[in-house]
Amino acid sequence: MAAAVPGRVYEVAAVVGADALARRLASAGVWPGTRLELIARAPFGDPMLFRLHGYRLALRRAEADRIEVVVRGAATPGSGS
Amino acid sequence: MSEPTAAATVDRRRVALVGRANSGKTSLLMHLTGSLQRPVNFPGTSVECIEGDVRVGGSLLCVVDLPGIASLEGHSRDEQQALLRLTRADEAPDLLCAVLDASKLIVELHLLAELRRLGRPIVVALTKVDVATAEGFPVDVDRLQRAIGLPLVVVNGATGAGAEALRQRLAAALPDVGDVADPAEGAADAVAGRRAVQRSRTDRIDGVLLHPIVGPFVLALVLLGMFQLVFAVADPFIGWIEAAQDLVGAGIEAMVAEGAVRSFLVDGLVNGVGSALVFVPQIALLIAFVTVVEASGYMARAVFLLDRLLRKVGLSGKSFVPLTSSFACAIPGIVASRILTDERDRLATIAVSPLMSCSARLPVYVVLLAAFFPAHQAGLLLFLLYLLGIVAAAVVALVLRRTVLRGGVSMLAMELPVYERPRLRVVGAHTWHAVRSFLRTAGTVILFATVVVWALGYFPRSPALHARFEELRAAVPAGAEGDVRRQRLDAEEAGAYLEQSWLASIGRAVQPAFAPAGFDWRMTVGVLAAFPARELVIPTLGTLYSLGDVEASTDLQDTRLGDALRTAKGPEGRPTMNGLVALAVMAFFALCSQCVGTLAAIRRETHSWRWPVFTFLYMTVLAWGVAVAIYQLGSWLGYAPA
Repeated sequence: MAAAVPGRVYEVAAVVGADALARRLASAGVWPGTRLELIARAPFGDPMLFRLHGYRLALRRAEADRIEVVVRGAATPGSGS
Repeated sequence: MSEPTAAATVDRRRVALVGRANSGKTSLLMHLTGSLQRPVNFPGTSVECIEGDVRVGGSLLCVVDLPGIASLEGHSRDEQQALLRLTRADEAPDLLCAVLDASKLIVELHLLAELRRLGRPIVVALTKVDVATAEGFPVDVDRLQRAIGLPLVVVNGATGAGAEALRQRLAAALPDVGDVADPAEGAADAVAGRRAVQRSRTDRIDGVLLHPIVGPFVLALVLLGMFQLVFAVADPFIGWIEAAQDLVGAGIEAMVAEGAVRSFLVDGLVNGVGSALVFVPQIALLIAFVTVVEASGYMARAVFLLDRLLRKVGLSGKSFVPLTSSFACAIPGIVASRILTDERDRLATIAVSPLMSCSARLPVYVVLLAAFFPAHQAGLLLFLLYLLGIVAAAVVALVLRRTVLRGGVSMLAMELPVYERPRLRVVGAHTWHAVRSFLRTAGTVILFATVVVWALGYFPRSPALHARFEELRAAVPAGAEGDVRRQRLDAEEAGAYLEQSWLASIGRAVQPAFAPAGFDWRMTVGVLAAFPARELVIPTLGTLYSLGDVEASTDLQDTRLGDALRTAKGPEGRPTMNGLVALAVMAFFALCSQCVGTLAAIRRETHSWRWPVFTFLYMTVLAWGVAVAIYQLGSWLGYAPA
C-alpha cells in the first residue's frame, strides 16, 4: 500500500498481523473489501492520507504497508466508498 | 443548574456520551445542558470527562462526556479512561448516548455494534449529517433507524438543532437493550454507496494546505501567528495585572505598618498571587488559539505535515500539540500530551516539553539582552535561545527513546476531520476551563513557592542593621533632594537585609558550584530564587542591586536593572557581569527546570515521582553544563569580564 498512487482506488485484501496496529486499523474501518483512495502524501512521502468509507485517515508508510491491496481503478465520481 | 441535594427528590439518570473523538460529543453536551458545568478538558478533544446536569421535566440528567473511543479495546490513555468509566460498577451509566458521525457511518456502525455488547440501553445521536451530504455520502436517516432498531435523534453539533428532541428522548423511558446482532449489514444500505461530489470543500482546502511546498509554508505562518499572539497581544494584559498588583500592594502598604506582616502580605502573598495571575493572559490566548486551530480541523493537518520530522527525533507528529503549547507554558502542554497513543511517546514528550522556551523566560532574556547586547544582535540571540531549547529537546528525546524509553508501538493512524468554522462558545468554554485548571494546580504551587522564597529572603532581620540605616536616614536633610536620598537608603537597606538573609547565605554556599559558569553570588541567589518560578529572578536581582521594586516585564522601559548589572563590581572592584556571563545565564535559564508548577503537572500526569525528579535533574545538569561550557569557552577566547 505504501507504493500507492494518488487518485487511484485500491481494495483491501488483508491486514497483516494481529497486533495493536492491526486492531487499530480494523477499528478505523480497514476491513477486507474496504476501498481506499490515496489523497495526498506529506512532504517526503510519509505519512499518507487515504479516503475510506467517506472519511480521511492518515497513516504512516509503515502502517500503510501492513495493508495488502488490489488495484480497483481510478477515483472518479462514484467510487471511494 | 441543579444542586446535588435536589437529586434525591427527582429521578436521577446517568447518561454517558460515547463516541469517537471528533464526533461532536463536547458541543453536543453543551447544547444538551446549556453549558459546560464541570469541564475538565484539553483543547479540541475530550481528554478528561466533562459533566453537565440538566433537568428535563421531573428527572435530572447527569450527562458525562467520555473521552473519544474508536473501539472497546482502549489504545490510548483517553480510551482506557473512557472504558473504565463505562464498565466500573459504581459509576456505570444508566443509559448510553452513542454519538455517531454520519460522515463515516459505516465505521461508526461497527462501534455501535461493540457498544451494544455492553448490554446497556442505547440512544443514538446522529451528528454531522450535513457533513456527510457535503462530502458526497448522504445518509437516509429513516432507513438507518429501521435497520438499527434503536431510538435515533439527528442533532447538529454546530447549531444545536435537535438537542431538545434528544434531551426529551434521553429523559424518556429507557429503551430496550435490544438485539445484540450486528446491524451493520442492513444499516450500511442507508448510506449512498456512490460519491455524489467529485471534490468537496475539504478536498479543495487540503489541496492547498497539504501541498508539499505551500503546506509547510502555511504551517510556519500559523506558528508565527501564534507567537505573535502569545507575546505581543498578551503584553498589555500582563501590564494591567502588574499594575493591579502594584495597586493592591500600595493599598496594603498604606494600611499595614512596616514590618514582617506587611512584607509578607506585599512581597509574599500579593507578589505570589500576581506571579501566578501574570501567566493567565498568555495561557488564555494560547489555549484559545490552539482550540481554534484544533476545532477548525487544521491541527490534524499540522500533525500530518510534521509527523516525519518529529519521528526522526523519537517523538510523534502528535507531540506537536503539547510542544507548541509549551512555548507559552509547559503546564498545559504536559496535560495535552495525553493525546499520544503510545506511552513512551507520551513520556518522552512530557520530559522535553519544559525545554521549550516558555513565556516566563522571556523577561530574563529581554533584561539581559538589552543590558549587554546591541539591538541588532539581541534579536538573533533571542532566536538562538529558542533554538537552543528546541535542539536540546530533540537531543534529549532521541536519547530517551534510545535508552529508557526504547521500543513501544508508536502509531499515527488518525482521522483528518473536515474543515469547520470554530464555534465561539466552544473556544470560550475551553479557554475558561484551562485558565481555571491552571490556577487551581499550578497557581497554588507558584503562590506557595513564592511565599517560601520570600521567607528565605526576608529572615533573619538584624536590629543592628535597621538601627544603622535609621541613623543614616536621620542625617539626611528634609526637602525634595533629601527624599530621593532617603528612597535610595531604603532600597540599600532592603539590599543589605537580603545580603545577610538565609537566601543569600545559601547563595554564597552554592556559588562555588556556579563559579565555573561565571555567576557571582548575586546571580547565584537570583538563580536559586528562580527555582520555584522563573519570574522571581527579576525582582530578586532588583532587590540585590538595591533598586527597590523592579518589574518582571517584557518592555524595555526599565533599564535600571540592566545598568546595575553592567556596572556591578566584585569584592576586588572588578566587574562581575559582561556579555559572556549574560550568555551563560540566559543559556542556564533556557535549559533549567525552574518551575514548581511544571514539576507538579508532570507528577500528576505520570502518576509517579520518577518523571518529575528525572526531568528536574537532567534539565538542571544540562543547564549547568551548557552554561559552564559557554563561559569556559568564552574565557578561553578572552571574553571573560576583566
